[in-house]
Amino acid sequence: MSRASQDYKSAVKPIWCPGCGNYGAMKALTQAFLDLDIAPESIAMVSGIGCSGRMSHFFNTYSLHGTHGRAVPTALGVKAARPDLTVLAVGGDGDGLSIGGGHISHAARKNTNITYLLLDNRIYGLTKGQASPTTDFGHKTKTSPFGVDEPPMDALPAFIVYDATFVARSSTVHVAELTELLKAGILHKGFSILHILTPCVTYPVFDARTLKATLQPLPEDHDRKDKMAAIVRGYSTNPVFTGIFFQTEKPTLEERLEGQAQPFAPERSGDELDMLRKVLYDFA
Amino acid sequence: MSSRPFRSDVNFVVRIGGEAGDGVISCGELFAQAAARTEYHVFTYITYPSEIRGGFSMVQIRIRDWTIYSMGSRVDYLVVFNQESYDKTISGLREGGMVIYDPDTVTPEPSETTRFFAVPLTQLARESGISGPGKNVVALGALGHLFDIDPVALKKLIRDRFLHKGDAVVERNIKAMEAGYEAGKACGWQQRFRLKADPDAKASYMMLSGNEAVALGAIAAGCRFVAGYPITPATPIFETLCRLMPKVGGKAVQMEDEIASISAIVGAAFAGEKVLTPTSGPGLQLMGEQINLASMLELPVVIVNVQRGGPSTGLPTKTEQSDLKFAIYGTAGESPRVVLAPSTVEDCFYQTIRAFNIAEIFQVPVVVLTDQSIGYRKATVRIPDFERFHFMPFHDLIEDNPVIPNPQHIDVVSRLEPTSEELVDYKRFRITDSGISPISRPGTPGGQYLATGLEHTEKGHPDYTPENHQAMTAKRFRKIEVLSNLLEKNPREYYGSPEARIGIIGWGSTEGAIREARYLAEQEGVLVRHLHPKIVLPMADRRIRYFLAELKHVIVVEENYTGQFAHFIRARFGIRPIEVHKCQGLPITPREILAAILNVARISDEQSITRL
Repeated sequence: MSRASQDYKSAVKPIWCPGCGNYGAMKALTQAFLDLDIAPESIAMVSGIGCSGRMSHFFNTYSLHGTHGRAVPTALGVKAARPDLTVLAVGGDGDGLSIGGGHISHAARKNTNITYLLLDNRIYGLTKGQASPTTDFGHKTKTSPFGVDEPPMDALPAFIVYDATFVARSSTVHVAELTELLKAGILHKGFSILHILTPCVTYPVFDARTLKATLQPLPEDHDRKDKMAAIVRGYSTNPVFTGIFFQTEKPTLEERLEGQAQPFAPERSGDELDMLRKVLYDFA
Repeated sequence: MSSRPFRSDVNFVVRIGGEAGDGVISCGELFAQAAARTEYHVFTYITYPSEIRGGFSMVQIRIRDWTIYSMGSRVDYLVVFNQESYDKTISGLREGGMVIYDPDTVTPEPSETTRFFAVPLTQLARESGISGPGKNVVALGALGHLFDIDPVALKKLIRDRFLHKGDAVVERNIKAMEAGYEAGKACGWQQRFRLKADPDAKASYMMLSGNEAVALGAIAAGCRFVAGYPITPATPIFETLCRLMPKVGGKAVQMEDEIASISAIVGAAFAGEKVLTPTSGPGLQLMGEQINLASMLELPVVIVNVQRGGPSTGLPTKTEQSDLKFAIYGTAGESPRVVLAPSTVEDCFYQTIRAFNIAEIFQVPVVVLTDQSIGYRKATVRIPDFERFHFMPFHDLIEDNPVIPNPQHIDVVSRLEPTSEELVDYKRFRITDSGISPISRPGTPGGQYLATGLEHTEKGHPDYTPENHQAMTAKRFRKIEVLSNLLEKNPREYYGSPEARIGIIGWGSTEGAIREARYLAEQEGVLVRHLHPKIVLPMADRRIRYFLAELKHVIVVEENYTGQFAHFIRARFGIRPIEVHKCQGLPITPREILAAILNVARISDEQSITRL
């Protein structure tokens, strides 16, 4: 069955400002679903709070727009319960690096088979322009009237150190590249995290033109298995590299859970009541 | 419940105290296990310090020839391993009670009303070649002789417990137990009740802790996804479920904290599973925001909160009933939820099943409030009869009501799913008379919807218009009103004489102690009626008003400082109850409640205070 982009679109109208980078992410994600031919009803999209957290509203998927910072553990619950679904988590720099920052290392360690889109505009846009963990040093915002006096967080190298099994960076200014990386992330078996730079047009910390000027694809000879090279290139600010920095394969949380239950499969072959009785004998 | 009189021939309490690490708890557990294999009922109470080693540790075992309701008020037999445990527990011994002590470590104060027996626990353990604690097994042997337990049965218990440590350890422990048995014989005491093993006597009973009963109830109710974070005293629920989930084809995941745990179960509930997270007070607080989310998304989640002494880190290993207000009111904005409070170990099983049924039917978060004393208590319970279980996708609420627990017919219900007609232009949050709207399972074509924590329309789309917020809030709360109305049809949850003019209200684990206090009061000629709601939110208002109507005095008993349930009763029903609080980290005893009842009876005679 061939699908059209319309099939992935919900009836909710996007609330983003005209020119917002998130439209690019939405377009890329739709194209990735189309290219991979994933049925809308088998997609679960969990998003956090903030402008980017609204992403799940606009897709005709099983969408859960939850609380601030908890998209990743919530998506983990969806995927662990239902490995048959394609599960995505979406959030911004506040969601994933500030309030919910603690969850990423654990999702990475568990290697839950979800794809996490961290849309980084380096500002709190929905609350009208306060500093985020990635706002540039010295940048003035309403909560940093004398300029941000803390260095911005280098998120991507941290994800590699967390042992996330797929770490990539892209931007919403290169939709074609983002689409390909999203597809690779969704197809990746394990926790895939995409650090996506997306300019905010209303409270800009950086704009599309300067972003384009600093972005550069990773060298062709970049070895995705070389963690140290990935970290070094992840720290680079000029150029800012895009592409898949690191990728490796490990058993996923879902595989391990399946592995725990598998040896008991013969015991479950009877009816439900039989199984319950056997559990009771465990205590007798 | 049977109206069999409160009389019993075999009814005694053994308390074993020592330093944590002495093996006090395992000595008590082994003794309780031996006793549970006889025709008698067993009920244990455990308290321990939050340190693994060091600090005072105690286990109390009550043995009776009839159902046991509480840990009892006085101790009949005290076994002490060190001076501290002697000093701390001797006051609990009844007149004429017996003390077994280790002469190497304990110097008892002479008393005319107490019988003392020295059993050299430390020395005998050393002689048996046990490195580390071994006193506990010696003490077990001595108790074995005192209560005439077959040494063969004791050997089997020791073998089962120590087998994983190898045969040499088993043999040394058996030797130590036998040394204790002989030392007991040498004491020249009169052997007490014969606790001869009788495998047929109680084939329909098993020994469970409250925490295990919760875990089993969850499995019976169809829970197949558990996420949690270790926290005393809820950890055994999580450990049990981690062990059992793979066996029943379910999944258990240890998360990085409580927020992640509840997030994961919200996600799994959205994905279509029946879910649970076990926690205790501090964890429940962390979960607050996600419980609200589940309320807003109308997802069925079950949170089991095993209460401990608070606030803050408080008394992690002690009991308290002090999370009630947080469970009921701990919400930003108004989010409907249901709060259950099981009252016995056996009730933990059935109320957990009920929690899942309510969560699934009404698509709400359900908080189950147990506490440390019930969670760690082990008691002989009737083995659940699964023949009486009925599994069903969804029940017509009017035809047959699965919210009413009926031991003859236990329903296990799953959430309402949309029909193919309803999937055309599917409205996940459709406004209905009952407030319940069908919930689609991910993977169902046409069932896609947006579940947002923002106020939303019937379709789930964000909408902040005044009329919509009012209508959707009403829809969510209507489910609780429907539940409340169903509860009015419940079998009565109160006991005692209709003639009584003194009423006593409790909740949760105090039921047994209140019941015994009622029996004791009746022996003193004071009639009492006892109400013990298992669902504390919402309550069956009309039934409770009916209970209150003919009473002159109402006593509310609870294990906290501020009288949380009393405040609730007062606010809801406009009465001024007499409040009895105990805030010591220990369960309230029947005699403490009896004292309150007799005080009230005296005041009542004097025609003073507290009018309804």
